[in-house]
Amino acid sequence: MLEGLVCQESLDMSVLERLKWLQQQQHQLQHVVSQSSNNSPELLQQILQLHGSNNDELLQGGFSQFQMIGSGFGPNYNMGYVPSHEAMDGCISRTSSCQMDPVDAMDVLLKNGEEDKPISLKNKRKAEVKTREEEKTEKKIKVEAETESSMKGKPNMRNTEASSKETLKEVSEIPKLDYIHVRARRGQATDRHSLAERARREKISKKMKYLQDIVPGCNKVTGKAGMLDEIINYVQCLQRQVEFLSMKLAVLNPELELAMEDASVKQFQAYFTNVVGSSKHSIMVDVPLFPLDQQGSLDLSAINPNQATSIEAPSASWETQSQSHYNTSSLGFQY
Amino acid sequence: MASSDKTINTDVPEKDVFAIHFLQSLSNLTTQNPFNSPDTTNYRARKIKKAAYVSMAKAAGGSSRLWSRALLGRAAKENNKIVRFARRKRKVTWKISSKRRSDQRAPEATDRLRNLVPGGGTMETSKLMEETAHYIKCLSMQVKVMQCLVDGLSPK
Repeated sequence: MLEGLVCQESLDMSVLERLKWLQQQQHQLQHVVSQSSNNSPELLQQILQLHGSNNDELLQGGFSQFQMIGSGFGPNYNMGYVPSHEAMDGCISRTSSCQMDPVDAMDVLLKNGEEDKPISLKNKRKAEVKTREEEKTEKKIKVEAETESSMKGKPNMRNTEASSKETLKEVSEIPKLDYIHVRARRGQATDRHSLAERARREKISKKMKYLQDIVPGCNKVTGKAGMLDEIINYVQCLQRQVEFLSMKLAVLNPELELAMEDASVKQFQAYFTNVVGSSKHSIMVDVPLFPLDQQGSLDLSAINPNQATSIEAPSASWETQSQSHYNTSSLGFQY
Repeated sequence: MASSDKTINTDVPEKDVFAIHFLQSLSNLTTQNPFNSPDTTNYRARKIKKAAYVSMAKAAGGSSRLWSRALLGRAAKENNKIVRFARRKRKVTWKISSKRRSDQRAPEATDRLRNLVPGGGTMETSKLMEETAHYIKCLSMQVKVMQCLVDGLSPK
Protein backbone atom coordinates (compact mmCIF):
# COMPACT_ATOMS: atom_id res chain seq x y z
CA MET A 1 0.00 0.00 0.00
CA LEU A 2 2.61 2.36 1.04
CA GLU A 3 4.88 1.67 -1.86
CA GLY A 4 2.10 2.15 -4.31
CA LEU A 5 1.29 5.44 -2.76
CA VAL A 6 4.87 6.57 -2.90
CA CYS A 7 5.31 5.52 -6.50
CA GLN A 8 2.16 7.14 -7.60
CA GLU A 9 2.79 10.37 -5.83
CA SER A 10 6.33 10.72 -6.92
CA LEU A 11 5.41 10.36 -10.52
CA ASP A 12 2.30 12.38 -10.83
CA MET A 13 2.86 15.30 -8.61
CA SER A 14 0.56 17.50 -10.53
CA VAL A 15 -1.57 20.30 -9.35
CA LEU A 16 -4.59 18.10 -9.07
CA GLU A 17 -2.89 15.78 -6.67
CA ARG A 18 -1.71 18.60 -4.56
CA LEU A 19 -5.17 20.03 -4.39
CA LYS A 20 -6.51 16.65 -3.44
CA TRP A 21 -3.98 16.40 -0.70
CA LEU A 22 -4.96 19.80 0.60
CA GLN A 23 -8.58 18.80 0.62
CA GLN A 24 -7.71 15.63 2.42
CA GLN A 25 -5.97 17.59 5.05
CA GLN A 26 -8.90 19.85 5.52
CA HIS A 27 -11.21 16.93 5.95
CA GLN A 28 -8.94 15.40 8.48
CA LEU A 29 -8.85 18.56 10.41
CA GLN A 30 -12.52 18.19 11.11
CA HIS A 31 -12.27 14.83 12.76
CA VAL A 32 -9.12 14.04 14.56
CA VAL A 33 -8.49 10.39 14.20
CA SER A 34 -6.26 8.68 16.61
CA GLN A 35 -4.50 5.93 14.89
CA SER A 36 -1.49 4.08 15.67
CA SER A 37 1.02 5.18 13.21
CA ASN A 38 3.24 2.19 13.32
CA ASN A 39 2.16 1.06 9.96
CA SER A 40 5.47 0.30 8.43
CA PRO A 41 8.24 2.22 10.02
CA GLU A 42 10.94 0.05 8.60
CA LEU A 43 9.75 0.50 5.09
CA LEU A 44 9.50 4.21 5.48
CA GLN A 45 12.96 4.40 6.86
CA GLN A 46 14.20 2.29 4.05
CA ILE A 47 12.64 4.51 1.48
CA LEU A 48 13.87 7.62 3.14
CA GLN A 49 17.36 6.29 3.48
CA LEU A 50 17.64 5.73 -0.20
CA HIS A 51 17.89 9.39 -0.88
CA GLY A 52 21.51 9.65 -0.24
CA SER A 53 23.64 12.28 1.23
CA ASN A 54 21.76 15.30 0.17
CA ASN A 55 18.83 15.07 2.43
CA ASP A 56 20.27 12.79 5.01
CA GLU A 57 20.19 15.09 7.93
CA LEU A 58 16.85 16.35 6.87
CA LEU A 59 15.13 13.07 6.63
CA GLN A 60 16.90 10.98 9.11
CA GLY A 61 17.03 13.91 11.37
CA GLY A 62 13.83 12.84 12.86
CA PHE A 63 11.41 13.60 10.16
CA SER A 64 10.63 9.95 9.58
CA GLN A 65 10.63 9.30 13.27
CA PHE A 66 8.48 12.26 13.70
CA GLN A 67 5.90 10.93 11.37
CA MET A 68 5.63 8.02 13.74
CA ILE A 69 4.78 10.28 16.59
CA GLY A 70 2.04 12.24 15.05
CA SER A 71 -0.91 10.16 14.24
CA GLY A 72 -3.54 12.77 14.46
CA PHE A 73 -3.90 13.28 10.80
CA GLY A 74 -3.23 9.84 9.53
CA PRO A 75 -0.12 8.41 8.07
CA ASN A 76 -1.45 8.46 4.56
CA TYR A 77 -0.71 11.88 3.35
CA ASN A 78 2.28 12.16 5.58
CA MET A 79 4.19 9.31 4.23
CA GLY A 80 2.71 9.47 0.82
CA TYR A 81 3.13 13.03 -0.09
CA VAL A 82 6.03 14.38 1.72
CA PRO A 83 8.63 11.67 1.37
CA SER A 84 7.84 11.32 -2.25
CA HIS A 85 8.34 15.00 -2.61
CA GLU A 86 11.57 14.48 -0.81
CA ALA A 87 12.33 11.69 -3.20
CA MET A 88 11.94 13.88 -6.19
CA ASP A 89 13.94 16.57 -4.58
CA GLY A 90 16.70 14.27 -3.55
CA CYS A 91 16.84 12.40 -6.79
CA ILE A 92 16.81 15.30 -9.09
CA SER A 93 18.56 18.01 -7.23
CA ARG A 94 21.54 15.84 -6.71
CA THR A 95 22.80 16.31 -10.21
CA SER A 96 22.75 19.33 -12.28
CA SER A 97 24.39 18.50 -15.53
CA CYS A 98 24.10 14.78 -15.95
CA GLN A 99 20.85 12.97 -15.75
CA MET A 100 22.22 9.55 -15.01
CA ASP A 101 22.05 9.62 -11.26
CA PRO A 102 18.34 10.21 -10.91
CA VAL A 103 17.86 7.14 -13.02
CA ASP A 104 19.64 4.97 -10.54
CA ALA A 105 17.95 6.55 -7.62
CA MET A 106 14.60 6.24 -9.26
CA ASP A 107 15.31 2.64 -10.02
CA VAL A 108 16.08 1.82 -6.48
CA LEU A 109 13.20 3.81 -5.16
CA LEU A 110 10.66 2.21 -7.42
CA LYS A 111 11.96 -1.26 -7.02
CA ASN A 112 8.63 -2.54 -5.88
CA GLY A 113 6.48 -0.41 -8.03
CA GLU A 114 4.53 -1.53 -10.98
CA GLU A 115 5.73 1.29 -13.14
CA ASP A 116 9.28 0.24 -12.56
CA LYS A 117 10.39 -0.87 -15.99
CA PRO A 118 8.80 1.69 -18.24
CA ILE A 119 9.85 4.56 -16.03
CA SER A 120 13.43 3.45 -15.79
CA LEU A 121 13.56 2.87 -19.51
CA LYS A 122 12.12 6.25 -20.17
CA ASN A 123 14.64 7.86 -17.90
CA LYS A 124 17.50 6.01 -19.49
CA ARG A 125 16.40 7.10 -22.88
CA LYS A 126 16.14 10.61 -21.66
CA ALA A 127 19.60 10.33 -20.24
CA GLU A 128 21.04 9.10 -23.48
CA VAL A 129 19.45 11.86 -25.41
CA LYS A 130 20.66 14.30 -22.87
CA THR A 131 24.25 13.17 -23.08
CA ARG A 132 24.19 13.34 -26.83
CA GLU A 133 22.71 16.77 -26.71
CA GLU A 134 25.24 17.78 -24.16
CA GLU A 135 28.09 16.85 -26.40
CA LYS A 136 26.67 18.97 -29.13
CA THR A 137 26.01 21.92 -26.98
CA GLU A 138 29.18 21.59 -25.04
CA LYS A 139 30.98 24.00 -27.21
CA LYS A 140 28.05 26.29 -27.11
CA ILE A 141 28.09 26.25 -23.34
CA LYS A 142 31.76 26.96 -23.38
CA VAL A 143 31.14 29.95 -25.53
CA GLU A 144 28.37 31.04 -23.26
CA ALA A 145 30.51 30.64 -20.20
CA GLU A 146 33.24 32.63 -21.71
CA THR A 147 30.78 35.17 -22.84
CA GLU A 148 29.38 35.54 -19.39
CA SER A 149 32.73 35.67 -17.76
CA SER A 150 33.87 38.49 -19.92
CA MET A 151 30.69 40.46 -19.88
CA LYS A 152 31.16 42.96 -17.17
CA GLY A 153 29.75 46.32 -17.91
CA LYS A 154 29.12 46.43 -21.57
CA PRO A 155 29.09 43.23 -23.51
CA ASN A 156 31.78 43.56 -26.04
CA MET A 157 31.35 40.91 -28.64
CA ARG A 158 32.78 41.00 -32.05
CA ASN A 159 31.99 38.72 -34.92
CA THR A 160 34.56 37.56 -37.29
CA GLU A 161 32.18 36.74 -40.09
CA ALA A 162 28.58 37.48 -40.68
CA SER A 163 28.49 34.08 -42.14
CA SER A 164 25.57 32.13 -43.31
CA LYS A 165 27.69 29.16 -44.19
CA GLU A 166 28.32 27.99 -40.65
CA THR A 167 25.70 25.91 -38.98
CA LEU A 168 27.46 25.21 -35.76
CA LYS A 169 28.50 27.88 -33.36
CA GLU A 170 32.22 27.59 -32.69
CA VAL A 171 34.77 29.40 -30.75
CA SER A 172 37.31 30.49 -33.24
CA GLU A 173 39.74 32.07 -30.83
CA ILE A 174 40.60 31.96 -27.26
CA PRO A 175 38.88 35.01 -25.86
CA LYS A 176 40.96 37.94 -24.88
CA LEU A 177 40.04 40.22 -22.12
CA ASP A 178 36.91 41.72 -23.51
CA TYR A 179 36.30 40.25 -26.89
CA ILE A 180 34.64 37.07 -27.82
CA HIS A 181 34.97 35.99 -31.39
CA VAL A 182 31.87 34.19 -32.33
CA ARG A 183 30.67 32.66 -35.49
CA ALA A 184 27.02 33.19 -35.82
CA ARG A 185 24.57 30.53 -36.60
CA ARG A 186 22.95 30.23 -39.98
CA GLY A 187 20.25 32.76 -40.49
CA GLN A 188 20.68 34.63 -37.24
CA ALA A 189 21.46 38.26 -36.84
CA THR A 190 24.90 39.16 -35.77
CA ASP A 191 24.71 42.63 -34.44
CA ARG A 192 25.73 43.32 -30.97
CA HIS A 193 22.36 43.81 -29.38
CA SER A 194 20.78 40.69 -30.67
CA LEU A 195 23.74 38.64 -29.57
CA ALA A 196 23.54 40.06 -26.13
CA GLU A 197 19.84 39.45 -26.17
CA ARG A 198 20.44 35.88 -27.15
CA ALA A 199 22.93 35.39 -24.36
CA ARG A 200 20.46 36.83 -21.90
CA ARG A 201 17.74 34.55 -23.13
CA GLU A 202 19.99 31.56 -22.78
CA LYS A 203 20.81 32.55 -19.25
CA ILE A 204 17.18 32.73 -18.44
CA SER A 205 16.44 29.40 -20.01
CA LYS A 206 19.29 27.84 -18.08
CA LYS A 207 17.78 29.10 -14.88
CA MET A 208 14.38 27.87 -15.90
CA LYS A 209 15.87 24.43 -16.38
CA TYR A 210 17.26 24.61 -12.89
CA LEU A 211 13.87 25.55 -11.59
CA GLN A 212 12.42 22.69 -13.53
CA ASP A 213 14.51 20.34 -11.49
CA ILE A 214 13.27 21.78 -8.28
CA VAL A 215 9.59 21.96 -8.98
CA PRO A 216 8.18 18.47 -9.14
CA GLY A 217 6.07 17.66 -12.08
CA CYS A 218 7.58 20.24 -14.31
CA ASN A 219 9.21 17.77 -16.62
CA LYS A 220 6.06 17.02 -18.50
CA VAL A 221 5.37 20.52 -19.57
CA THR A 222 7.51 22.03 -22.24
CA GLY A 223 7.85 25.62 -23.17
CA LYS A 224 8.44 28.60 -21.07
CA ALA A 225 4.83 29.52 -20.49
CA GLY A 226 3.77 26.12 -19.26
CA MET A 227 6.72 25.81 -16.96
CA LEU A 228 6.09 29.24 -15.60
CA ASP A 229 2.53 28.27 -14.90
CA GLU A 230 3.65 25.20 -13.03
CA ILE A 231 6.16 27.14 -11.03
CA ILE A 232 3.65 29.79 -10.11
CA ASN A 233 1.20 27.11 -9.13
CA TYR A 234 3.76 25.42 -6.97
CA VAL A 235 4.66 28.60 -5.16
CA GLN A 236 1.00 29.31 -4.56
CA CYS A 237 0.54 25.81 -3.24
CA LEU A 238 3.40 26.18 -0.83
CA GLN A 239 2.09 29.48 0.41
CA ARG A 240 -1.32 27.99 0.90
CA GLN A 241 0.24 25.15 2.83
CA VAL A 242 1.96 27.59 5.13
CA GLU A 243 -1.31 29.35 5.71
CA PHE A 244 -3.10 26.11 6.37
CA LEU A 245 -0.48 24.86 8.78
CA SER A 246 -0.50 28.13 10.64
CA MET A 247 -4.23 27.81 11.00
CA LYS A 248 -3.75 24.34 12.38
CA LEU A 249 -1.18 25.58 14.79
CA ALA A 250 -3.47 28.33 15.91
CA VAL A 251 -6.14 25.79 16.62
CA LEU A 252 -3.81 23.58 18.55
CA ASN A 253 -2.12 26.37 20.38
CA PRO A 254 -4.43 27.42 23.20
CA GLU A 255 -5.36 23.90 24.05
CA LEU A 256 -1.82 22.95 24.85
CA GLU A 257 -0.55 26.24 26.25
CA LEU A 258 2.69 26.16 24.45
CA ALA A 259 5.63 28.23 25.30
CA MET A 260 4.73 29.02 28.83
CA GLU A 261 5.85 25.76 30.30
CA ASP A 262 9.21 24.17 30.44
CA ALA A 263 7.99 20.73 29.59
CA SER A 264 6.60 21.68 26.24
CA VAL A 265 9.69 23.68 25.36
CA LYS A 266 11.85 20.65 25.89
CA GLN A 267 9.47 18.60 23.85
CA PHE A 268 10.01 20.86 20.89
CA GLN A 269 13.58 19.82 20.56
CA ALA A 270 12.49 16.23 20.52
CA TYR A 271 10.17 16.98 17.66
CA PHE A 272 12.89 18.06 15.36
CA THR A 273 15.67 15.76 16.38
CA ASN A 274 16.03 12.07 16.17
CA VAL A 275 15.44 10.87 19.62
CA VAL A 276 11.97 10.38 20.84
CA GLY A 277 10.92 10.28 24.42
CA SER A 278 14.21 11.09 26.01
CA SER A 279 14.34 14.61 27.13
CA LYS A 280 17.57 14.56 29.02
CA HIS A 281 19.87 15.73 26.30
CA SER A 282 17.35 18.14 25.00
CA ILE A 283 17.28 19.96 28.29
CA MET A 284 20.89 20.71 27.80
CA VAL A 285 20.11 22.03 24.40
CA ASP A 286 17.26 24.32 25.01
CA VAL A 287 19.03 26.37 27.58
CA PRO A 288 20.89 28.56 25.10
CA LEU A 289 17.87 28.55 22.86
CA PHE A 290 15.31 30.02 25.12
CA PRO A 291 16.87 32.34 27.57
CA LEU A 292 13.78 34.47 27.36
CA ASP A 293 11.88 35.39 30.41
CA GLN A 294 9.16 32.95 30.86
CA GLN A 295 6.77 32.37 33.65
CA GLY A 296 8.16 28.97 34.42
CA SER A 297 11.75 29.77 35.14
CA LEU A 298 14.48 27.83 33.48
CA ASP A 299 16.91 26.94 36.15
CA LEU A 300 20.12 27.17 34.27
CA SER A 301 22.37 26.32 37.16
CA ALA A 302 20.38 23.32 38.18
CA ILE A 303 20.13 21.83 34.76
CA ASN A 304 23.56 22.37 33.35
CA PRO A 305 25.90 20.15 35.34
CA ASN A 306 23.55 17.19 35.31
CA GLN A 307 23.27 16.82 31.61
CA ALA A 308 26.83 17.32 30.62
CA THR A 309 27.45 13.66 30.03
CA SER A 310 26.15 12.38 26.76
CA ILE A 311 25.42 14.80 24.04
CA GLU A 312 24.43 13.13 20.86
CA ALA A 313 25.42 14.40 17.48
CA PRO A 314 22.19 16.05 16.38
CA SER A 315 21.67 17.90 19.59
CA ALA A 316 25.26 19.03 19.66
CA SER A 317 24.97 20.45 16.23
CA TRP A 318 21.68 21.98 17.25
CA GLU A 319 23.33 23.69 20.13
CA THR A 320 26.24 25.14 18.26
CA GLN A 321 24.05 26.22 15.44
CA SER A 322 21.53 27.73 17.74
CA GLN A 323 24.20 29.67 19.56
CA SER A 324 25.68 31.05 16.42
CA HIS A 325 22.40 31.89 14.87
CA TYR A 326 20.94 33.31 17.98
CA ASN A 327 23.87 35.64 18.26
CA THR A 328 23.83 36.74 14.70
CA SER A 329 20.15 37.03 14.15
CA SER A 330 19.38 40.32 15.70
CA LEU A 331 17.27 42.52 13.58
CA GLY A 332 15.46 43.92 16.49
CA PHE A 333 11.85 43.48 15.97
CA GLN A 334 9.21 41.76 17.80
CA TYR A 335 8.39 38.83 15.66
CA MET B 1 21.32 19.97 1.98
CA ALA B 2 23.30 21.94 -0.55
CA SER B 3 22.29 21.44 -4.09
CA SER B 4 24.61 23.73 -5.92
CA ASP B 5 24.61 24.19 -9.60
CA LYS B 6 27.62 25.14 -11.56
CA THR B 7 26.93 28.80 -11.54
CA ILE B 8 23.85 29.16 -9.41
CA ASN B 9 24.16 28.87 -5.70
CA THR B 10 20.96 28.13 -3.87
CA ASP B 11 22.04 26.57 -0.66
CA VAL B 12 19.49 26.37 2.02
CA PRO B 13 20.37 25.83 5.67
CA GLU B 14 19.22 22.76 7.44
CA LYS B 15 15.91 22.09 9.02
CA ASP B 16 17.24 22.84 12.48
CA VAL B 17 17.88 26.44 11.67
CA PHE B 18 14.39 26.94 10.42
CA ALA B 19 12.99 25.18 13.43
CA ILE B 20 14.94 27.32 15.83
CA HIS B 21 13.85 30.54 14.26
CA PHE B 22 10.27 29.49 14.03
CA LEU B 23 10.08 28.45 17.65
CA GLN B 24 11.73 31.65 18.68
CA SER B 25 9.25 33.74 16.83
CA LEU B 26 6.40 31.70 18.21
CA SER B 27 7.54 32.20 21.75
CA ASN B 28 7.96 35.86 21.02
CA LEU B 29 4.41 35.91 19.83
CA THR B 30 2.99 34.34 22.92
CA THR B 31 4.94 36.53 25.29
CA GLN B 32 3.94 39.58 23.40
CA ASN B 33 0.24 38.97 23.37
CA PRO B 34 -1.50 42.15 24.40
CA PHE B 35 -4.74 41.90 26.23
CA ASN B 36 -6.69 44.22 24.08
CA SER B 37 -6.45 42.27 20.87
CA PRO B 38 -9.13 39.77 19.91
CA ASP B 39 -8.08 36.25 20.56
CA THR B 40 -9.91 34.57 17.77
CA THR B 41 -8.46 31.72 15.84
CA ASN B 42 -8.23 33.74 12.66
CA TYR B 43 -6.29 36.46 14.31
CA ARG B 44 -3.91 34.02 15.86
CA ALA B 45 -3.55 32.16 12.60
CA ARG B 46 -2.60 35.34 10.82
CA LYS B 47 -0.07 36.17 13.46
CA ILE B 48 1.44 32.75 13.24
CA LYS B 49 1.62 33.00 9.49
CA LYS B 50 3.43 36.30 9.67
CA ALA B 51 5.78 34.87 12.24
CA ALA B 52 6.43 31.91 10.00
CA TYR B 53 7.35 34.09 7.06
CA VAL B 54 9.58 36.33 9.05
CA SER B 55 11.35 33.45 10.74
CA MET B 56 11.80 31.80 7.37
CA ALA B 57 13.34 34.95 5.97
CA LYS B 58 15.68 35.23 8.91
CA ALA B 59 16.66 31.63 8.82
CA ALA B 60 17.17 31.38 5.12
CA GLY B 61 19.63 34.13 4.61
CA GLY B 62 18.94 37.23 6.53
CA SER B 63 20.03 39.97 4.24
CA SER B 64 21.83 38.00 1.61
CA ARG B 65 18.78 37.29 -0.46
CA LEU B 66 16.58 39.82 -2.13
CA TRP B 67 13.34 38.14 -1.25
CA SER B 68 14.22 37.81 2.41
CA ARG B 69 15.15 41.44 2.60
CA ALA B 70 11.90 42.41 0.99
CA LEU B 71 9.94 40.21 3.39
CA LEU B 72 11.64 41.57 6.43
CA GLY B 73 11.27 45.11 5.21
CA ARG B 74 7.60 44.55 4.63
CA ALA B 75 7.10 43.06 8.07
CA ALA B 76 8.98 45.88 9.67
CA LYS B 77 6.83 48.39 7.89
CA GLU B 78 3.74 46.73 9.26
CA ASN B 79 5.21 47.09 12.68
CA ASN B 80 5.99 50.72 12.04
CA LYS B 81 9.64 50.08 12.45
CA ILE B 82 12.01 50.89 9.68
CA VAL B 83 14.76 48.40 9.15
CA ARG B 84 17.22 49.14 6.47
CA PHE B 85 19.89 46.79 5.29
CA ALA B 86 23.24 47.73 3.97
CA ARG B 87 22.70 48.29 0.33
CA ARG B 88 24.57 45.82 -1.75
CA LYS B 89 26.48 47.30 -4.58
CA ARG B 90 24.45 46.83 -7.69
CA LYS B 91 26.21 46.72 -10.96
CA VAL B 92 24.18 48.87 -13.28
CA THR B 93 24.57 47.17 -16.59
CA TRP B 94 23.29 48.55 -19.77
CA LYS B 95 20.44 46.07 -19.63
CA ILE B 96 19.00 47.59 -16.51
CA SER B 97 19.30 51.11 -17.79
CA SER B 98 17.51 50.19 -20.96
CA LYS B 99 14.74 48.66 -18.92
CA ARG B 100 14.30 51.80 -16.95
CA ARG B 101 13.84 53.74 -20.13
CA SER B 102 10.86 51.74 -21.25
CA ASP B 103 8.15 52.54 -18.78
CA GLN B 104 5.39 50.61 -20.39
CA ARG B 105 6.27 47.00 -20.67
CA ALA B 106 3.91 44.63 -22.36
CA PRO B 107 2.22 42.36 -19.77
CA GLU B 108 4.91 39.80 -19.30
CA ALA B 109 4.53 36.21 -18.43
CA THR B 110 6.73 36.67 -15.41
CA ASP B 111 4.52 39.31 -13.87
CA ARG B 112 2.55 36.81 -11.86
CA LEU B 113 5.74 35.32 -10.52
CA ARG B 114 6.92 38.75 -9.52
CA ASN B 115 3.77 39.25 -7.56
CA LEU B 116 4.21 36.01 -5.71
CA VAL B 117 7.84 36.17 -4.81
CA PRO B 118 8.51 38.96 -2.33
CA GLY B 119 10.68 41.66 -3.72
CA GLY B 120 10.20 40.51 -7.24
CA GLY B 121 8.94 43.73 -8.63
CA THR B 122 12.22 45.22 -9.70
CA MET B 123 14.48 42.39 -10.57
CA GLU B 124 15.89 41.14 -13.76
CA THR B 125 14.26 38.02 -15.00
CA SER B 126 17.32 35.87 -14.50
CA LYS B 127 17.70 37.15 -10.97
CA LEU B 128 14.02 36.50 -10.43
CA MET B 129 14.53 32.88 -11.38
CA GLU B 130 17.31 32.45 -8.86
CA GLU B 131 15.31 34.07 -6.15
CA THR B 132 12.33 31.92 -6.98
CA ALA B 133 14.39 28.77 -6.71
CA HIS B 134 15.75 29.72 -3.34
CA TYR B 135 12.37 30.89 -2.18
CA ILE B 136 10.77 27.61 -3.16
CA LYS B 137 13.39 25.64 -1.28
CA CYS B 138 12.99 27.72 1.83
CA LEU B 139 9.24 27.55 1.66
CA SER B 140 9.26 23.79 1.43
CA MET B 141 11.64 23.62 4.36
CA GLN B 142 9.39 25.86 6.38
CA VAL B 143 6.42 23.70 5.50
CA LYS B 144 8.27 20.64 6.72
CA VAL B 145 9.14 22.29 9.98
CA MET B 146 5.60 23.39 10.59
CA GLN B 147 4.35 19.98 9.66
CA CYS B 148 6.65 18.42 12.21
CA LEU B 149 5.41 20.81 14.83
CA VAL B 150 1.79 20.20 14.06
CA ASP B 151 2.22 16.49 14.06
CA GLY B 152 3.98 16.61 17.35
CA LEU B 153 1.42 18.77 18.98
CA SER B 154 -1.62 17.04 17.69
CA PRO B 155 -3.35 14.83 20.21
CA LYS B 156 -2.24 11.25 20.10
